[in-house]
Amino acid sequence: MKQFAKNIVLFIVFTCIAYPILISISGYLLPQKLSPNINYRIGSYGHMYTRLNEAKNFKGELDVLFLGSSHSYRGFDTRNFNDLKTFNLGSSAQTPIQTNALLDRYLDKLNPKMIVYEVYPNTFTSDGVESSLDIIANDKNDLNSLEMAFEINHIKVYNTLIYGFFRDAFELNKSFSEPIKKGEDTYIPGGFVQRNITYFKHIDYPEKDEWKLNEEQIKVFESIVKRIKDKKIKLMLVYAPITSSYYKSHTNNAYFDKFITSHHAEYYNFNTMLTLNDSLHFYDSNHLNQNGVREFNKKLLELIDLNKK
Amino acid sequence: MLFNSIDFAIFLPIIFILYWFVTNKNLKAQNILLLTASYFFYACWDWRFLFLLMFSTLLDYYTGLKMCGVQDQKAKKFWFWLSIFINLGFLGVFKYYNFFADSFAEALSQLGVQINPLTLSVILPVGISFYTFHGLSYVIDIYKGRVKAERNFVDYSVFVSFFPLLVAGPIERATHLLPQIKKKRSFDYSKAVDGLRQILWGLFKKIVIADNCAFFANEIFNNSSDYSGSTLVLGALFFTFQIYGDFSGYSDIALGTARLFGIELLQNFSFPYFSRDIAEFWRRWHISLSTWFRDYLYIPLGGSSGETVMRIRNTFIIFIVSGFWHGANWTFIIWGLLNALYFLPLLLTNKNRKNMEIVAKSRFLPSPKDFFNILLTFGLTVLAWIFFRAENIGHAISYLSGIFSLDLFSVPKFPGMGKALSTILLILFFIAIEWMGRENKYAIEKIGSKVSRPLRWSFYVLIIFLIGMFLETEETPFIYFQF
Repeated sequence: MKQFAKNIVLFIVFTCIAYPILISISGYLLPQKLSPNINYRIGSYGHMYTRLNEAKNFKGELDVLFLGSSHSYRGFDTRNFNDLKTFNLGSSAQTPIQTNALLDRYLDKLNPKMIVYEVYPNTFTSDGVESSLDIIANDKNDLNSLEMAFEINHIKVYNTLIYGFFRDAFELNKSFSEPIKKGEDTYIPGGFVQRNITYFKHIDYPEKDEWKLNEEQIKVFESIVKRIKDKKIKLMLVYAPITSSYYKSHTNNAYFDKFITSHHAEYYNFNTMLTLNDSLHFYDSNHLNQNGVREFNKKLLELIDLNKK
Repeated sequence: MLFNSIDFAIFLPIIFILYWFVTNKNLKAQNILLLTASYFFYACWDWRFLFLLMFSTLLDYYTGLKMCGVQDQKAKKFWFWLSIFINLGFLGVFKYYNFFADSFAEALSQLGVQINPLTLSVILPVGISFYTFHGLSYVIDIYKGRVKAERNFVDYSVFVSFFPLLVAGPIERATHLLPQIKKKRSFDYSKAVDGLRQILWGLFKKIVIADNCAFFANEIFNNSSDYSGSTLVLGALFFTFQIYGDFSGYSDIALGTARLFGIELLQNFSFPYFSRDIAEFWRRWHISLSTWFRDYLYIPLGGSSGETVMRIRNTFIIFIVSGFWHGANWTFIIWGLLNALYFLPLLLTNKNRKNMEIVAKSRFLPSPKDFFNILLTFGLTVLAWIFFRAENIGHAISYLSGIFSLDLFSVPKFPGMGKALSTILLILFFIAIEWMGRENKYAIEKIGSKVSRPLRWSFYVLIIFLIGMFLETEETPFIYFQF
């Protein structure tokens, strides 16, 4: 039995060394189709690489920090907030687990007086894999990444993180530079991504659906709210506008509102506060076009000003 | 709790440590631990059905004792038939009642009589076909005087409920497993290492081969009317490897796990896709079920002795019952029937026991004749699997007619073709390893046994790497859990 236990330990150690080597080699050499559980896409979508680079080089303190999903980096146009110093740290499908990881890294650096946290029910229902991969590929990885990976507990996240550590160690991303304009998207300094103006063809959602919130995401969300409050930073929770047909296709919106308000932070659901036109103000079912962004930000600025007083 | 889940990865080491470090001095304590662990394992599926399992165990234990305790043949017969009736009754109610009710209603509707059959809305208790057959073999063996009734209830319960085999076999025999449960077991290093190796290979088969093939097999079978003949052939091939990887993978994990506890279970698979005829295939596929039917149905019916008509009848009965055992659907019956038809020429020409040894023994490559026979047998098996996988007979027929269409020789096309190429590469790797290890109990049993430890371990890490790289993100239940 002693020999068995000894060999088991030795084999685990051997695996812990050999497995990352194999992951690194295959991530580096093989195409994605042959390494499906490594999904390292630097500069893939939403200009995350450029946004995080800007955050890393930021000096001073912010008036407002925006957090959240693509509704954040496509919804809060940092040019629309007059003389307020703002930064948008949104990322694609950012769930509370990733928000937490980003706060670990950037909260002290950005030092905001106020946080506007975009809460989209979909991100509370998600496992958070997509957004984790986005952060792993576009940021330098550290122990916070490992913590995030354990919280997500998904093989794709583990493998991509191992490969991310390998790329960081050998500085393989050093020569990477992300273009400011990619397809329809243009990166605006401060973290906003502007989409060329297009209009959404309204559709009805015949099937009613329910938001089913993930327990793990709820737990992390609660810890984020507590953490921000403990730091005495003003917190505003915002449900950004989505098309009314998409919004109404969910039967438990009131439940979500109740869940968010139970955290005793200022909360605004813009789907009930703003009257926007699905075709004129959106470019798809849940993203505002530039006209919509303008309307949304105008109202939000009023609330921020009110809050300052 | 699935074998390919994190829960099981935690559960197994805990039981292993308790078994060898806490209860190792006392056989009784070891068996109580195995029984508790097995009931916990089963309760993780659905605790309500635990009572059914316990009742079934108690019934066979009690009737076994009763049969042994009476001299009167009539009384013995009574207890025997009571056990058979209740065991098959449970199986009939849970597994077949709705099928018979619906089939009866459909038959009447063909005659113009419309009835609304009373169907039961119950879920099938996981593993019921397996543990019922365990119990049945025990009761039949006692009745036939092959074994004596087990007096120790815990030992008997472990025989029925031992967690590695509880939900999908192998279907054990009292003559094989009970003596091992009653004997003091001591830790055997090479057995334990062998067990871990077999678990690893089972996980590879399930996670890498079966689950990846399932993705494409499901896509193609579920939308078969949209695809060309060549794509349908590919879909059938994917299912062929899915079901083999799934079920033999499960069996490997079960056997490996049992070996960690010093228990040897019956071998369930022995490289069936390298068979040169259908008779050989059935000696290598789901061996514990085939031999169960052979011993408790085919031979009592007269087996292959007697008149030709009787031999043909027996062959059809055993294959059709075997098909029906898999599920309450006509597709399984046709699948069984088809295999009987494949088997018949061999039986009639007395060639059904021609290929007893593994192909190309002690050689690297098969002879051209063997190779051709392997391909032919494999092709026939693939054809039969279409019925096994199809939703209903109509689906199977339309699938087959889709294959034999003009576009059979076109290039296959379906969503995810790129990913399918990597799955095909994995299947080729899998076939190569299985071929190399075909003379052993499982493919990687002896692979690397003559090379240095770092090289051997590198091979195991390569398998772990492939599991990590091709693991589908959702835990997929094993196909045979539904039977």
